[in-house]
Amino acid sequence: MTGRAVRGGTLLAALALAAFLPAGISHFHSFQFAFVGIYFIAIVGLNVVTGYSGQISLGHGAFMAIGAYTTAILSHDHGVSVYWTIPIAGIVAGLIGFAFGFPALRLSGVYLALATFGLAIAIVLIAKNYAFTGGGGGKSLTLPSSPISGLSTNVWLYYLVWGTALLMLLLAWLLLRGSLGRSFRMVRDAPIAAVSYGVSLARYKTIAFGIAAAYAGVAGALLAISIAYVNPDTFPISLSILLLTGAVLGGLGSLTGMVFGALFIEFVPLYAEKINNQAPTVIYGFILLAVLFAMPYGAAGLLHQLGGRVRQLRPKATKDPRSE
Amino acid sequence: MRRKLFLVAALVVAAVAAMGAFAKSASDPGVTSRTVTLGGTFPLTGPASSYAPIPSGMAAYFSYANATRGPDHKRGAGGHQIIWKFYDDAYNPANTVQRTHQLVEQDHVFALVGGLGTEPQQAVRDYLNQQKVPQVFVSTGATTWGFDHAQYPYTFGWQPDYQAEGALYGRYIAKNDPNAKIGILYQHDDYGKDYVAGLYAGLGAKKDQVTISRSFEVTDASVLSQILDLKASGIDTFMIFATPSKTIATYATAAKVGWKPKNIYLNSVSGTQTFMAIAVKLAGAAEVDGTISAYYLKDPANPSWANDAGMQKYNAIMAKYLPTADPKNGLYLYGMAKAFDTVEALRNTGANLTRANFVHTLNNLNIKDNPFALPGVVTKTGKTKTGKIDAFPISQVHLIRFDGATQQWNPFGTTIDPRGK
Amino acid sequence: MANFIQHVVAGLSNGGIYATLALALVLIHRATGTVNFAQGEMGMFLTYVAWSLIYSAGITYWLAFTITLVIACLDGAAVHQVVIRPFERRPELTIVMVTIALLLILNGAAGWIWSPQEKFFESPFPLDVITVGGVVMNAQDLGVIGVSLACVLVVFLFFRFTRAGLMMRASAVGPATSKLLGIRVALMLSAGWGLAAMLSAVSGMMAAPVLVLTPNFMLIVLTYSFAAAVLGGIDSPWGAVAGAYLIGVGISLLSAYVHSVGPELQLPVALAVLVLVLLVRPAGLFGRVVARRV
Repeated sequence: MTGRAVRGGTLLAALALAAFLPAGISHFHSFQFAFVGIYFIAIVGLNVVTGYSGQISLGHGAFMAIGAYTTAILSHDHGVSVYWTIPIAGIVAGLIGFAFGFPALRLSGVYLALATFGLAIAIVLIAKNYAFTGGGGGKSLTLPSSPISGLSTNVWLYYLVWGTALLMLLLAWLLLRGSLGRSFRMVRDAPIAAVSYGVSLARYKTIAFGIAAAYAGVAGALLAISIAYVNPDTFPISLSILLLTGAVLGGLGSLTGMVFGALFIEFVPLYAEKINNQAPTVIYGFILLAVLFAMPYGAAGLLHQLGGRVRQLRPKATKDPRSE
Repeated sequence: MRRKLFLVAALVVAAVAAMGAFAKSASDPGVTSRTVTLGGTFPLTGPASSYAPIPSGMAAYFSYANATRGPDHKRGAGGHQIIWKFYDDAYNPANTVQRTHQLVEQDHVFALVGGLGTEPQQAVRDYLNQQKVPQVFVSTGATTWGFDHAQYPYTFGWQPDYQAEGALYGRYIAKNDPNAKIGILYQHDDYGKDYVAGLYAGLGAKKDQVTISRSFEVTDASVLSQILDLKASGIDTFMIFATPSKTIATYATAAKVGWKPKNIYLNSVSGTQTFMAIAVKLAGAAEVDGTISAYYLKDPANPSWANDAGMQKYNAIMAKYLPTADPKNGLYLYGMAKAFDTVEALRNTGANLTRANFVHTLNNLNIKDNPFALPGVVTKTGKTKTGKIDAFPISQVHLIRFDGATQQWNPFGTTIDPRGK
Repeated sequence: MANFIQHVVAGLSNGGIYATLALALVLIHRATGTVNFAQGEMGMFLTYVAWSLIYSAGITYWLAFTITLVIACLDGAAVHQVVIRPFERRPELTIVMVTIALLLILNGAAGWIWSPQEKFFESPFPLDVITVGGVVMNAQDLGVIGVSLACVLVVFLFFRFTRAGLMMRASAVGPATSKLLGIRVALMLSAGWGLAAMLSAVSGMMAAPVLVLTPNFMLIVLTYSFAAAVLGGIDSPWGAVAGAYLIGVGISLLSAYVHSVGPELQLPVALAVLVLVLLVRPAGLFGRVVARRV
């Protein structure tokens, strides 16, 4: 059996599992898995900017906020069907991300982390201060309801989110398998070589940032639909940190690894909280540290190793900046 | 193929749902002959985690009630042992929604009690009313809880609302100090603006007495420029509408620039003894002395209640169920007072404990003997003369004045109904 | 005019708090080539340690202050040895993530150990007000300014005039060459982390009486310090200190005199400065422009 067939089989099994999951779990768990899907979409996007083009974004939550507010404003103030707002939210967030990425591309590594950190904090304050966002009180959306009779709202949300996730994953796969993905990896791993091959670093970093923001926007739209409410407190800086943590745990550079990252974001606090209210944060920190130390390629890398297929997932990443 | 799978999945789901609906018809979720399960969400971590003692105070009182026979000679709430589940939402509505779904759909609570925060509780209000799950005695004083009760019949506020409190100060000033030169410092959000709107309403014709109004953002590192402006404007009556840590910073900053306005009014949320004690340490007793606020509960840090039966009960419950906690923190007492009203309402609903009957009781409350409330403060709802339901459960407050030397709030005057009922 | 000077003094006082933390950020950036996102939380945690010394152990303020600085130095060095060094040869992204992990751990641990409720942390300076020519100045602001200037001066003298300071500078600039010269580079870098931890502890202990002690209270200070460090140049200690005072005074004057900016937008203004400087002059006002890898 070739590796390709194994992978195809695994993918089919995963799809079947995703399709049948709501039948085997409670309605509430379907609701929880809908949130897993939302985080999944967001960190798939983060994976494009961080994992494939080597930039650190600490402001991913800000783009989720932009998507969520797009959905809230369109549906609450203009009566647009929430489902149509999902692609619009993606496009709006993507354009803003592109615009932000355009200057941000000039910032390397740590500086971009700082700029995006600033963005994540600023967006909350901006949302609080202007009337069109509803200020601190936020905006309520109509409660989600299943358009299919017999299907509970929670299960409907599950299929809505994971259906979208599948589409977004497909899109990411199509984007990253071709020349764009190659260019991204080149920009990340060998920027100087990339330039000499005529790859415009600026252009590809900006594109990556825009794509990532669009994914966050779609995730934000789905979040707004699922909780039927949006306010600035929904997008604290800790959300951006959590998303980056999830992406690292899943394994940057691997799309399927993101599922593990998303599961982690949703479920670890639920169990850690039983130890102590403050425990989730501490446990996040320690797990992140352990993963960074012991399995630099995240959960996806671990799976590969367990499968006896230890291989270089990606060439030696960025050099030590001090060695220049 | 996929389509077929989907159909199968949908059928299974529908079957499960139908079975669920069938099993439910006997009685409302969360109630058995021996127990009643209640739940709530609170910020145990994150920016608002200073309110974390509230659910613990509630837990202590529920444990006490479970072990003690009430006036009906039954333990718990009318013979139902109370099971109390509360989760952390970190003041983030996305968490509040998920945790509330968990309480309703997985833990099958009978009602949500005491959920904290205006925005988080607004985020779940539609859902809870759609599911017909009572959302009882939310821990926020936004005016919407009382005003919009007709639209959200399963939702009930508890404490006096912010606008009413602001109006109370306005009326008091208009009557007793009509020539006051008033300056306002408020938090730049709905919470602060509610107080300001109330103050203007209460001042009525005297609203031109407000000379200056400045605001701040919770994230501001300092309120110094606002304080300097206020000081320079020469006002003699200073209104502080802020959350606790900014209130403390306000006192400290005023002391730093050597400014002590003649009269200071402080919103009740920030006025608990714990916070005032910090303010005294940072700003000096002279700065904080004489501050006027309003409150409806007893202050466990004030020794003048030492011989009060209600306070002795509070201290006994604290000693037994929360031995390591600081009983002087008024938030525990706040939680207990709320739990007391909850137990009363459950007991008054009687033998047939259903959500509909519980809501009926909540619409006709008249609890006069809450041992933790100031004398004369009642928890009362019911039809008004116009036939509408008055859904502001606690309406009376006492004006209180802070004594810097003893670091205590002392009630003065009689109970006032800030809503002017 | 009196009002103006008051705003300047207050701005300098805030600036001093940012300056100590910004200086710590710069030291780490020079030593390890990364931005330490956990720098504020280290200060926060150490302020809680000081709180325990004062209110649980009952030690006087300045003794507790001194003990905290010793603990801070050991703590910073330990963090470098145990947490950072294993990642020395790893990509920039990994080290940034390590500091974020540290941020999470310290933030949660502080809430776990001391509970997240607001705590009172005293100021060592009296509440006295000093009036100089109509300008009301208070001992607390002047004290904070004094402490921050003293810290900056000590750091300056240490690097300029001591052998240890020289070796630390050498280790940061040219680790390979330093090693050849027999300098124990790792130890020197640890010392740098220790020094940075001491500075962040000072920043925390100065900020706590103003901002009230909670596990999150240093996040705002960290954000302003980031803006300050970037404004002055993240590789330039003196630039970062100047940037901090500029930000402190600038924000204070802006919120006082430009009402359209208003106090509500203080932090966004600081962040806008951060982003603008990064775009226009990434090396900062006082930093050297270094040809960086793309």
